[in-house]
Amino acid sequence: MHEELNIILTGVREHCPEISTRAEFESFKATISGPNGSLTKVMKGMGKVAKEDKPAMGKLINDTKAAVITEFDAVLERLERADLASKIGPPIDPTLPVPDCRRGTLHPISQVREEMVDLFRRIGFSVAEATELETEHYCFDALNIPSDHPARDMQDSYYLPDQLTVSNVSKHSDEKYLLRTHTSTVQIRTMLNEKPPIRIVAPGRCFRRDTPDATHSANFHQIEGLYINKGVTILDLKATLDYFVKSIFGPKAKTRLRPSFFPFTEPSFEMDFFSPDLGKLSNKWLEIMGCGMVDPEVFKFVGIDPEVYTGYAFGMGIERIAMILQGVDDIRYYYQNDLRFLKQFA
Amino acid sequence: MKISYNWLKKYIDLDPVEHSPELLAEVLPLLGFDVEEYEKSGPPQIENVVVGQVLEYIQHPDADRLRCCKVSTGNVGEFHDIVCGAKNFKQGDKVLVALPGAVLPGNFKIKAAQLRGQPSAGMLCSAKELLIGQDHDGIMVLDPQTDLGLPLNELFLEADTVFNLEITPNRVDVLSHIGVARELSAKFGLPVKYPKVLTSAENCSSANPLISSVEVDVPKICPSYSAICIKGVKVGPSPTWLKDVIEGVGLRSINNVVDATNFVLYETCQPLHAFDAAKIKGGKLFVRMAREGEKITTLDEVERTLSAEMALIADAERPLALAGLMGSLDSEVDYNTTDLVLEGAYFTPNSIRLTSRKLGLSSDSSYRFERGVDPQGVIPALFRAIDLILEVAGGVVDGDMIRVGSMPNSEVEVMLQPERVRSFIGFDVSDQQIQSVLESLGLRVCIQEQAGSTVCWAVSIPSYREDLKRDVDLIEEFIRIYGTDKIPESEVASYGISLNDHRIYTVNESLANYLTGRDFNEAFLYSLRDSEETEFFFGQSSHEVLALKNPLQSDQSHLRPSLVPGLLDVLQLNTARATGATRFFERGHVYREVNAEMVELHSVAFAIVADEVGRTWRRREVADFYTAKNICEEALEIAGTAANKLTFYPIAKSNLWQDGHAAEAGDFMKMGFEVTCGLLNFSVLKERWDLSTPIIAGSILMTPKYFERRVKRSRHSSMSNQPASFKDLSLIVDQSVFAGDIEKKVASFAKKAVKGFDCEDVHIFDIYLGEGLPDGKKSIALSMSFRASDRTLKDREVNITFDAIQKLILEKTDYQIRK
Repeated sequence: MHEELNIILTGVREHCPEISTRAEFESFKATISGPNGSLTKVMKGMGKVAKEDKPAMGKLINDTKAAVITEFDAVLERLERADLASKIGPPIDPTLPVPDCRRGTLHPISQVREEMVDLFRRIGFSVAEATELETEHYCFDALNIPSDHPARDMQDSYYLPDQLTVSNVSKHSDEKYLLRTHTSTVQIRTMLNEKPPIRIVAPGRCFRRDTPDATHSANFHQIEGLYINKGVTILDLKATLDYFVKSIFGPKAKTRLRPSFFPFTEPSFEMDFFSPDLGKLSNKWLEIMGCGMVDPEVFKFVGIDPEVYTGYAFGMGIERIAMILQGVDDIRYYYQNDLRFLKQFA
Repeated sequence: MKISYNWLKKYIDLDPVEHSPELLAEVLPLLGFDVEEYEKSGPPQIENVVVGQVLEYIQHPDADRLRCCKVSTGNVGEFHDIVCGAKNFKQGDKVLVALPGAVLPGNFKIKAAQLRGQPSAGMLCSAKELLIGQDHDGIMVLDPQTDLGLPLNELFLEADTVFNLEITPNRVDVLSHIGVARELSAKFGLPVKYPKVLTSAENCSSANPLISSVEVDVPKICPSYSAICIKGVKVGPSPTWLKDVIEGVGLRSINNVVDATNFVLYETCQPLHAFDAAKIKGGKLFVRMAREGEKITTLDEVERTLSAEMALIADAERPLALAGLMGSLDSEVDYNTTDLVLEGAYFTPNSIRLTSRKLGLSSDSSYRFERGVDPQGVIPALFRAIDLILEVAGGVVDGDMIRVGSMPNSEVEVMLQPERVRSFIGFDVSDQQIQSVLESLGLRVCIQEQAGSTVCWAVSIPSYREDLKRDVDLIEEFIRIYGTDKIPESEVASYGISLNDHRIYTVNESLANYLTGRDFNEAFLYSLRDSEETEFFFGQSSHEVLALKNPLQSDQSHLRPSLVPGLLDVLQLNTARATGATRFFERGHVYREVNAEMVELHSVAFAIVADEVGRTWRRREVADFYTAKNICEEALEIAGTAANKLTFYPIAKSNLWQDGHAAEAGDFMKMGFEVTCGLLNFSVLKERWDLSTPIIAGSILMTPKYFERRVKRSRHSSMSNQPASFKDLSLIVDQSVFAGDIEKKVASFAKKAVKGFDCEDVHIFDIYLGEGLPDGKKSIALSMSFRASDRTLKDREVNITFDAIQKLILEKTDYQIRK
């Protein structure tokens, strides 16, 4: 018996390192400790052992069994390790670059637009939207720019054919459709739909019939602001725009309101700013937006009583601000979308 | 509008230091007249350069080419030692001396110094050094009569600064030197010096009047017409002073008579016109409408064909001038002219603008008439011009002024409450401050006490300020002259207003965040596209409807119906430049034709170079239709439409999409949105964009109304904690049957068949075509999961349900069940 146990243990010790799969292990294990296994047989033979030999024999069997289990556990552990290694592969090289595409980037104009919109949202403005197709009424007449007014000479517009209908842009009467030349149209549409108080910004695309060059493009973007309430003053206009300019161009930026003329505001101003840290553009007055107090004629067009309400409006070119902030000297770069350009603003 | 500093000084006493041209260049923009540029002409003003006289000179002891001079600048007994390198002067010559302290052009500072051991306290200057001329061969030797000690700045008075002002269309009155002077007078508190006028309406008359009368047929267009005749003028070149001022503001000097009228135009903003009396046939002038097709050759030597809405000045036979625009070559004043008829008229802005536009002709006159000249200023300007003509061309006024009609009365009163000014500007100013600003502009303030204690002013407006009609106009005048720099700085007062951001904006923000997170770069493209491209991709009816009426260039003649072609431009550019870019998206408005009408839509679109991995150490999966479908579904979910509401179907043959590899879902007219995605037409891409790699794209269209839908708030429903049971089912169907339809049908059968528990999910997990299947068939394997809310499901009840589902399939469809 003693001999048998030795042979079993030796056999297990010899065979175990050769086992390479779980199935092999299970079938080998059955030949040892299964119901008909060699070790099981030896254990069954205990009954025939003389009484006085039983304690010693029992100890021997238990020792052998423990030694076999140790061997088996080692096999299992080895197989599990191998299994895991095959699942997770070899160790990584952390210095290798990621093979996937990189996160995309918002267009630099979008970035500036969002920055601007967020600055105005912070002081209580909400975003308004309207269509790019407009009619002469909403683009000019309602903004107090009558059909024969020289102010219309200032902007040459793209028109749609006379007989065409745009099914989701409403007309006032039988005026012509055109591509909006400024986002001020959103002022009118909003004032017609909402009751004061109104405080909105409207970013959007505009169109002018300009020959493209470094500073002109067939379409460009503006952001329009409008605040109407009881007792809105020029002081409020200045405070809001000063806040905006200092937030976007830094606290060292200075502003000035230069009197100007727009048919839809009275008084009207151009806002200029001056900054010591703008590279080539430092230390000179740069025009950045038109603004003013909403003209009473505009209020009459949209049915708001100018005796009760006052308001201010402003409008500025997003590309203009972006070009200043980003140091871009040709507007056409924005419309080429060369990835190397876009990634400079990632 | 060009304004000369020297010319301005005729009407206002500008101090060369206190009101220097540089200061004006800063002040004028803040008054509302932006200075586009200003240019100095003549020698620059340099301090400490004076006329001196070389009393004696000797050869420099240590330098052959230098002379040591003793120079007097007029103070008896005082002389300056100056070493000079020039040799073109002799003893007693008058020269220009730059004394220590002078700064010559180029920031060349003159200091007392030693030159090769000899003292030199100044410099004798050449013309070039002072920017007076080009001569640099020697120093400038002056006329012996020149006063000793005279500063250079007084010797060359013709130094001038010309400002190019941008005058807004509401301020026609400032299109003149007097107009600008009036503004500066208000700002600086200096009086305006108006020129004295000698001519008057009544004059001696000779026996033969040049014209007998003027007949105005069109009083609506020409409410007032005046004419004065001058006999015996001598037309010739203008005197130097007149020629200089005319050319200084960028006009061409023609002759003394024309220059005189142009002078008055630039002085007063009143366009006048001189006719050669000898060329007026029939001795009578008519102001009438043109006859349709009537011809006139204007002074610019262009023959123009007129139409019936254009007004003319004519004689008995032919047109002599286009009213308010330009004279005819026929009636031009030339060197043979001896007698003149000078016109001073008021034409209404609309008529002049109409004619100017129709003819594409604009002149200094029409530019002013169409903005509205001061009606009360016409006759004073006419008299002023006659004074000047008599001065520069001689002659005598013959007869009384002929006058037809009367000037519109444009003096108005505007009511203004000083309290309203304060509440509008938002900071405190006194009544007195407001009043003095208004008065400085020539407005008269008449204080009226109204009922209660509200102070109200009646402000009378001079006729040249037709732009001032309402109290806000006066508030603007106040703030403009008072100074916008004096508006106090303050904190933003943010009164709460609860308006939501428009969903178009917020959805677009989220879409951009989503797409950049999926590695797309945002592109910005033009909304206008090429004509041929529009027709090729979207057909004839789109091509017609999307055309602009007045395009500028043929490649920007149509509104874009899709963002996809623009994205292909971007991929083409990036491929050509090898930037490595593979994914782009754009958000923007697009335009579609529906039943011969246009609709404006919001769109977001993307394009992916399918095999975008390129050469890298590990390959990733190549993008395909399902990549695009996934992005479209997720994008629509962000916009507020659940993806399970969508079924994609293959799209009809198209030039843009690859047949059999692209699909669409939704319908923007019926559902508010529409999606198209898949592989782009391979051969078209190669041909048009030189892109030879497959491109996967997606495009979503949304109507503005789509964003107005209320998005439902989600509600919680309880979930079962019991285990789920799964069943798999394999169907054999025609290859042409859509898998999505099968899935939907089986799900509906399952829903019908379950009793007392739920079928939670039916989904396709395998598709097989090929060996073992009949021709034209495919096998679709579906997995179903069942769950009860209150118990573990028994195999038996699941099997009964599964049998019932199979029974329904066999009854209701021609799908075969694969055993």
